[in-house]
Amino acid sequence: MARFQVAAQHPYGPSVGQLVDRLAALPGIGRKSAERLAQHLLGCDEAEALALAQAIQDVRHNVKHCPNCFNLTEDAECEICRDSRRDPQVVCVVEQPKDLLVIEATGVFQGQYHVLGGRISPLSGVGPDDLNIAALVRRVRKQGVREIVMGTNPTLEGDGTALYISNLLADDNVRITRLARGIASGSVLEFANREMLADAMKGRQAF
Amino acid sequence: MSAEKTDGLILRVTDFSETSRIVVLFTREFGKISALAKGGRRLKGPFESALDLLSNCHVVFLRKSSSGLDLLTEAQLIDRFRPQERDLTCLYAGYYVAELLQNLTEEYDPHPELYQAALEALEDFRQTDQMRRGVLRFELVMLREMGQLPDFETCAACGGELTEGRTFGFWVSQGGLVCPECQREEYSQITIHAGSAAVLRRLSGTGGESWRRLELSPQQYKELKRVTTAAISHVLGRRPKMLSYLP
Ligand SMILES: [Zn+2]
Ligand SMILES: [Zn+2]
Repeated sequence: MARFQVAAQHPYGPSVGQLVDRLAALPGIGRKSAERLAQHLLGCDEAEALALAQAIQDVRHNVKHCPNCFNLTEDAECEICRDSRRDPQVVCVVEQPKDLLVIEATGVFQGQYHVLGGRISPLSGVGPDDLNIAALVRRVRKQGVREIVMGTNPTLEGDGTALYISNLLADDNVRITRLARGIASGSVLEFANREMLADAMKGRQAF
Repeated sequence: MSAEKTDGLILRVTDFSETSRIVVLFTREFGKISALAKGGRRLKGPFESALDLLSNCHVVFLRKSSSGLDLLTEAQLIDRFRPQERDLTCLYAGYYVAELLQNLTEEYDPHPELYQAALEALEDFRQTDQMRRGVLRFELVMLREMGQLPDFETCAACGGELTEGRTFGFWVSQGGLVCPECQREEYSQITIHAGSAAVLRRLSGTGGESWRRLELSPQQYKELKRVTTAAISHVLGRRPKMLSYLP
């Protein structure tokens, strides 16, 4: 709650003031929207308002990290790790659970995932030991993984994290690939920038 | 608010909201600035994918008259930092450049030569064999631009000439080397050979590119690095974070 600030007193009293403050601390919600949401929660059916409070509690109590891949789940192991049709020897490494969701939504990946919980960012005080990297190395050896697909963000720190991991696994018999980058389908070459074109040329595939 | 146009190196990018980011840049004409990039998390728009750590960009920003963040309105990529592909220390050396610029410079305090030196250092980090020298050169230019470059010519205690063929101490708080006669225990933890002192003079010099012909032995690098680390830590008031990631 670093950004949480106590605002001026609310005319309806401190409880409403506190609710508005909490809502306004959520991403994408300004003070005006927070005020409107608070008004709604005050005006709606009591059961409806309390169901929201309960849903927040349930999420925080029940959702845990999968011990295998660190995806979020309410079960002992996540749905993907439990699915016997998924190939446990191909693992896609991502920074956050939300990255897993967007790749999963494409429906083209048949392996498992490994969520790092962030990226190596020494300037922000995040080192390799703060991420689920040691667990990944253990998993590669235990599961006999033959391919790691680096799905970290194509940023300097994302690429750096991928490089750190691939160095760690240099002596293991595992193939390391990364997501291709370049030109989006449906766009035109003329408007692609030099960098995208260069990446696309380097990552060209058999036709 | 007036619109300013310049080139700048990105030192830090933090997510501010669902779509916006706060970007800290070290610009050629204005020194360090902090600006809000609305829509900076989208791929399309006025920033494309330029807003990455250590990218060098043409930027346009609106300068706030009162305190508060400037507003970044455009960023066009000139060059991305591409460290030697298989060498993490080259990447970390780049992070170190960002750390020093971020922590040792003030907002709206321009240092065009430091900006240039940063770009050259990042260029050097594309090759492993130029990385160490590039780090030292950048540290020394940094110290010079901050007005904190130690004296490598004369003894910091007696003012005497530092002659060849000897070993000198480094007296951090007095900002310079000390001759053998003046050395006392309290400032003799760091000692360097006369040859290393000569290298320090050339590496920190303003006279063109002659420092690029210097080849450092591992022993020399170690000696010089102790001197620059002590000097930088003295100015910063602590050891830089990235040093533990560097050789
Ligand atoms: Zn799982
Ligand atoms: Zn002396």
